[in-house]
Amino acid sequence: MPDRVLIVDDHAGFRAVARRLLQEIGSQVVGEAGTGAQALAEARRLRPDLVLLDIQLPDLDGLAVAKALSSEPEPPTVVLVSSRDAADYGPRLDGCGALGFIAKADLSAESLTALLGA
Amino acid sequence: MTAVQRRVIQAGVLAVVALACLAELLYIFTIPGGIVWQLELPGGPDVVLGSGFIRSFSLRQWPDVLIELAPGLAFAFSGLIAWSVRPRNRVGLLMMGVGVGLLVGIQPTTKGPSALSTALGEILYFLAGIDPPFVIDALLLVGALGVVMLIHLLLAFPGGRLISKVDLALVRSFYIVLPLAAVLVGAATNSPPEGLLGSLSSNVFVYAAPNLIYLACLVLGSGLVIRRWLLGGRARRRSLAPVFWSVIPVVFAFLPWSVIEIAGGLSQNGKVGASYFDALSTAAHLSPLLLIALPVGFLIGLLRTGLDMSSIGDLVVRLSSGLTPEQLQPALARALQDPSLRVLYWLPTLGWFADLDGKRVELPGPDSERAVSVLGDPSAPVAALVYDSSLVHEGQLLDTAAAAVNMALENARLQVQLRAQLEEVRQSRVRLVEAADSERQRVERDLHDGAQQQLVTLLLSMQTAKNEALRQGDRRVAELIDANISSLREALDELRELARGIHPTILSQAGLMPAIQSLADRSPIPVDVKGELGDTRLAPPIEAALYFVVAEAITNAVKHSKGKRMWVQVGRNLGLATIEISDDGVGGADVSRGSGLLGLTDRVAAVGGRLVVKSDAGRGTTINAEVPCG
Repeated sequence: MPDRVLIVDDHAGFRAVARRLLQEIGSQVVGEAGTGAQALAEARRLRPDLVLLDIQLPDLDGLAVAKALSSEPEPPTVVLVSSRDAADYGPRLDGCGALGFIAKADLSAESLTALLGA
Repeated sequence: MTAVQRRVIQAGVLAVVALACLAELLYIFTIPGGIVWQLELPGGPDVVLGSGFIRSFSLRQWPDVLIELAPGLAFAFSGLIAWSVRPRNRVGLLMMGVGVGLLVGIQPTTKGPSALSTALGEILYFLAGIDPPFVIDALLLVGALGVVMLIHLLLAFPGGRLISKVDLALVRSFYIVLPLAAVLVGAATNSPPEGLLGSLSSNVFVYAAPNLIYLACLVLGSGLVIRRWLLGGRARRRSLAPVFWSVIPVVFAFLPWSVIEIAGGLSQNGKVGASYFDALSTAAHLSPLLLIALPVGFLIGLLRTGLDMSSIGDLVVRLSSGLTPEQLQPALARALQDPSLRVLYWLPTLGWFADLDGKRVELPGPDSERAVSVLGDPSAPVAALVYDSSLVHEGQLLDTAAAAVNMALENARLQVQLRAQLEEVRQSRVRLVEAADSERQRVERDLHDGAQQQLVTLLLSMQTAKNEALRQGDRRVAELIDANISSLREALDELRELARGIHPTILSQAGLMPAIQSLADRSPIPVDVKGELGDTRLAPPIEAALYFVVAEAITNAVKHSKGKRMWVQVGRNLGLATIEISDDGVGGADVSRGSGLLGLTDRVAAVGGRLVVKSDAGRGTTINAEVPCG
């Protein structure tokens, strides 16, 4: 399990739930961000192992943030989340530099472990 | 202008003509073989000789008289004819002005005074004691004004009015600059050699300056005439053509005088042989005769603008055999001999003029080279004719033509009005569809950002609660929570489907092909998608229309076709996006029976496309949609 995690989502409610879930599986949440710009700044500052990244952010598109993060010198692992389905994004999910996608409704210790372990 | 004023002007011009002829005849017959000028002037004979006043008067013979009188007479008489033929056109007046300038004034170019101006100089000197140099200046001024009027005439022909602001500014500045230049040079040549002005006169280029200025003005004027020729329609070219050809000899008439002034100066300095000078002298002497071409050209041009009433007769005959609105404009253009003529129709419900297609057209402004006649009652016009301004003076002909086509115009206007209204309806349908689309997109976004987010967070919280219950060994609570989680999941799925039906996110996110593929992936019947679009994006309204066609077709097939397979083929060809959806079901679908397909037909039509459904019983259903996509 990754030690240090950054949660990026503009909904505080979701960030709180995700924090609890990640703590349950033994990860340390080192920071939170509500916008794409904050996400990029915090990722550079905190150097997390994992970024849990919502696709729909108020400023940047989460997919663009994922792409920017993957071009960093030591890129963190990125897991995209959204309250929409993977099918809603189609081929755009491929090639954005993220490890994978989990619909928010399916986010759990199991789905996260399965994706990260794979 | 009143009739009395007209008569006074005509009589004045005739009087100048008569006096000019009389003066010439007097000189010829009173001293046979020519006149030797014998003025004794206070300034000494050198001054007078340098003025040029004497030069062409020292010996005066028959050919000289004819050569000098001819251009002035030609302009004056052509002007009189033009003014009586076209009384409201200023062309005649301007031509008379040029004629009077030539007969009375000293030509600044040739320094050649007419007999009339010589007589005037003589009379004023003997009767009032006025110095000849002063008279020369005054007569130079009259001559210069005549030349400016010639340029004015060139630019205002054939309508008689200066229309563009450039022409107006140019002519106004000529009226100030050219007479001033003529007087200044006259003063320089008449001043004692030791003064500032007199020292200037020894410079041959200063002496030739007015000629060069006039030549430059004439070339500029000709350039503007050529420009108007190039921009004008057939009607304008018809009247400009004779002027156009007559300007060429006039330029040649001015050239020898310009050259002779410089060459003459040089020959005095011993730099040019006398034989060259003599040859040029002869050419220059005869050159005023070439000026006759111009008034004749103007007169012919003006008469050619006159249209034939018989062409209106042809128009009436064509009308009686029935003219469609499309044929009306060419028929009028032919009758008025102006291919650039346009018929615009007044749309009272919309409050503007439109062309035959119902598209709005603004009437040209007053500065334009195009003239406008609004037909019908000014408060409720029927139509407007926009035509070349050279037709402005054909008021009666235009009125007759307009009266002849009145009924046909009224009919055409009704058709145009209908077309304009249809165009309005079409555009309003496009706007409605676009508004509905953006509203759907907004509702989808609100659902996603609001309810869906809240429910997802709640679901995850319950998941954590369930895990906590399990950790504490409370299986009953865990089961209870799990049951609620299942219900919540169902609700979320339903909500997601609802949102997707309102507006599919993938369509705006990834485009038509992925969106259709996503529809196919979720379809209970296997759907085979093939497409040539790839990543190409079309305009959002087109993508939305085609997407909903496929979505509706799949929904219908699932509900009614009993088919086992479907095929979707997307293509793009010759500016058309095409889509074909077919199934192997029972067929027999009827678009008109209130199915969702009817709404889709309207939707596709709103983006300028069409939808064709073929559904014979037992042969499956095939839906074809094509939409122009640029």
